[in-house]
Amino acid sequence: MKENDPLIAELANIVGSEHVITDPTSLSVYECDGATVFKALPDVVVFPTTPQEISAIVKLANKHNVPFIARGAGTGLSGGMLPINGGIIIALNRMNRILEIDIANQQAVVEPGVVNLWLTQAVQDDGYYYAPDPSSQQACSIGGNIAENSGGPHTLKYGVTSNHVLGLEVVLTDGEIVEFGGAVEETPGYDIRGVMIGSEGTFGIVTKAVVRLLRKPEGYQTLLGVFETIDDASNVVSSIIAQGIIPAALEMMDHFVIRAVEEAFHWGFPLDAGAVLIVELDGIKAGMQGQAEQITEIFNENNCRETRYAKDEEDRQQIWKSRKSAFGSFGRLAPNYITQDGVVPRTQLPKVLRRIAEISEKYNIPIANVFHAGDGNIHPIVLFDERDEDQCERVEAVNMEILRACAEAGGTITGEHGIGVEKMDYMPLIFSPEDLAVMATVKDIFNPSGLCNPGKIFPTAESYAKLGL
Amino acid sequence: MSNSNQLHKNLVQIVGEAGLLPEDQLSHYGIDDIDPQAVVLPRSTHEIQEVLSYAADSGLSVIPAGSGTKLGVGNPPDTVDLILSTSRLDQVLEYEPGDLTVTVEAGIRLAMLQSKLVEHGQYLPLDPPYADRCTIGGITATNASGPSRFRYGSARDRVLGMRVVQSSGTVIKSGGKVVKNVAGYDLNKLYLGSFGTLGVITEVSLKLQPLPEIERTILLTFADVGEAVNVASEISGSQLLPTSLNLFVNGVPLTNSPEPCLLIGLDGPPETVEWQIDAVKTIAQQNGAIGVELYEGQRQQELQGAMRAFPESGSATPTVVCRANLRMTDVGGFINTALEANKSAPWRMRATGLMGNGVVYLAFSEFPNGDVPAEHVANIVATLREAATNVGGNLIVESAPTALKHQIDVWGSVGRSFELMKSIKTKLDPIGLLNIGRFVGGI
Repeated sequence: MKENDPLIAELANIVGSEHVITDPTSLSVYECDGATVFKALPDVVVFPTTPQEISAIVKLANKHNVPFIARGAGTGLSGGMLPINGGIIIALNRMNRILEIDIANQQAVVEPGVVNLWLTQAVQDDGYYYAPDPSSQQACSIGGNIAENSGGPHTLKYGVTSNHVLGLEVVLTDGEIVEFGGAVEETPGYDIRGVMIGSEGTFGIVTKAVVRLLRKPEGYQTLLGVFETIDDASNVVSSIIAQGIIPAALEMMDHFVIRAVEEAFHWGFPLDAGAVLIVELDGIKAGMQGQAEQITEIFNENNCRETRYAKDEEDRQQIWKSRKSAFGSFGRLAPNYITQDGVVPRTQLPKVLRRIAEISEKYNIPIANVFHAGDGNIHPIVLFDERDEDQCERVEAVNMEILRACAEAGGTITGEHGIGVEKMDYMPLIFSPEDLAVMATVKDIFNPSGLCNPGKIFPTAESYAKLGL
Repeated sequence: MSNSNQLHKNLVQIVGEAGLLPEDQLSHYGIDDIDPQAVVLPRSTHEIQEVLSYAADSGLSVIPAGSGTKLGVGNPPDTVDLILSTSRLDQVLEYEPGDLTVTVEAGIRLAMLQSKLVEHGQYLPLDPPYADRCTIGGITATNASGPSRFRYGSARDRVLGMRVVQSSGTVIKSGGKVVKNVAGYDLNKLYLGSFGTLGVITEVSLKLQPLPEIERTILLTFADVGEAVNVASEISGSQLLPTSLNLFVNGVPLTNSPEPCLLIGLDGPPETVEWQIDAVKTIAQQNGAIGVELYEGQRQQELQGAMRAFPESGSATPTVVCRANLRMTDVGGFINTALEANKSAPWRMRATGLMGNGVVYLAFSEFPNGDVPAEHVANIVATLREAATNVGGNLIVESAPTALKHQIDVWGSVGRSFELMKSIKTKLDPIGLLNIGRFVGGI
């Protein structure tokens, strides 16, 4: 698309020329999300502020037969916003207002560009918070969370984004603005809100969301245990659940991650430890100490080397910072990394982690692990150097074997990052052609022209060939 | 040979004699005064496919069902051809307690499933009425819930995946068996609450919960509804974590108290529960409760049972049941509007509010001579529906005699999302086989 393309002028008419980007240097900021190995330049980026503007942009895109893709904060980890064939990026950063906070009804109305953490900050003085807390919550947008149905460490007890969204206002792919759900828990008819959440931006563009706010728990108990081996830590996870305790979070880091985090942030973790486990209880203080003691006992029965307790809120925040900043420290381990996101039944964790270690050894590609152990949602971090072609090929094989291992263990290939472009090829590992055909049918209902975020989620003929299917 | 004999014969070839409900029992599955031509009880996915294919070829429609406890929900059908019940598909397929998940066949009864889970100290925290009869498939297809929805959510929050036979006979899977899964579209949400209009659910994977150490229920009695509502909002805005928070007006389960009551369910470790009991008592005393009663053991089980069964229980038929979905802060006002609207009516109206969820059930019963004056009730329901929609809510008529259903759309309007809903139905059930004409907008 040329700069003097009539489409550009029409877009400028809608949002104002200062809110349209077409020069290649500025466009390059929008060529990828957090999965930086995947790159594609959009033709133009626009920054609307109202659903009506988005509706006009979408209608224009349809008229010119140009793809359009919504983008939030760009923290996605599967290339979900990648403009594979160019087109218009509809950046939602300027739609960043919290429109309404209704404490009495424990809900808020937000625009899609609102940063996840802002919402919690806006309601914390009232004693409330927004529960879904992806590691990127300081940057990621609620619109993006809705597109990906994001999770976070606390989903073990509180569920994912879908459990916390009541209503959506959406610009459909033909430009119509429609609301689904609302300020009440249920509305008659099919749960279109539910299907919209996690549709990776392929069903339309969310312009407003009614989300639940939760009362802040009365108390927290956060424990950090240092273990000799991953197996010991995995056994702890199973034992906690077996004793009927559902912690708010149950997170694990392996020796690779411990090292990287330690070198970057100096938390004082022993560098030779096999695994660190963070367990957080929340809720009513009465009775919590008893559960914390039960957990300490389980730690000790599994060769725990050292247990730390968060003494106060500051301490607790420190522990979480060490976990959530883990991703920031991987740059120390290798020039590039891919974060996998498979989920396996909890009881399969030790087996699958051993398998991942074998895969790492087989291909001579280091793999670090930091993950939501309580959910069985693993995040193997595949470390490599993209300048080394041979490594890149091996990384592809590694990815496939890891996801195959997750699928074979009865799990899935993504727990919270989405399929995007990154995992399209692996969809046949968990879905039959018939399953995918239903998804394609539903996609056709919402996105018949295919112009809304094309080239995502669905495997191609090559995907099947690659998997030997 | 008559048509009905021929139908019988053809179906027996597919499902065997045992797979057909005896003719003298067909009326148990009657919908709005129409008895089905046959009730088919297949034992395998293959048999389901055969039944669907036979129905499609013969121009018969099919209404999927479990044990039929919610079969009456919906607008009156033109015809009731085949009812396809999955109640004989009742096995637990996969259960690894350490995973806190289970995969079952759709026809397993809730109580039966619970009895298997209890052995491992776990349960499925869904408590709709008729646990001994209602099936997991039915709970899923109707997105059913009960009082403990406040803490543990509805079926929507528990279902991880399912297997569905489409009207074409194709078997598809949605979601998976693990607790977190964003691979592809979340089609679970389409089938949840779709009342059998999109497919026959044959398998469901669910997220479980460990059994709490103890359970208690507190019953608070108030002189008026307003005070009860205030205490409910005080509790839901506090750091207490009740499992349920139900207001009952004009009919309290078990006790039949004439005054409005709040029932507060608590569970967890003893220390946690005891602390909450004290906190609830303090709030109650500060806010004008005239009675505070603690239930435990057998009596609590009975109270909980009666609470779940409400509003269907304890009243003579016919009963008209409406459910309003509202914001929490609109519940008190709505119940008062309903009381006012029914003040001079010659029947009894009971109300229960799931105060933390903004859900209100209204039950109209004890009609003079057992006759429901359809027009009169329809007018009141229309007024109440308007009251609900005016504050951003909605009202669904869940149960009503046929004459009343002909006077009012049981679902109400779904607004501009209807076109999409219609496309979903048309594309996923293109031959128009499944539960036709009874869902929103005549879908």
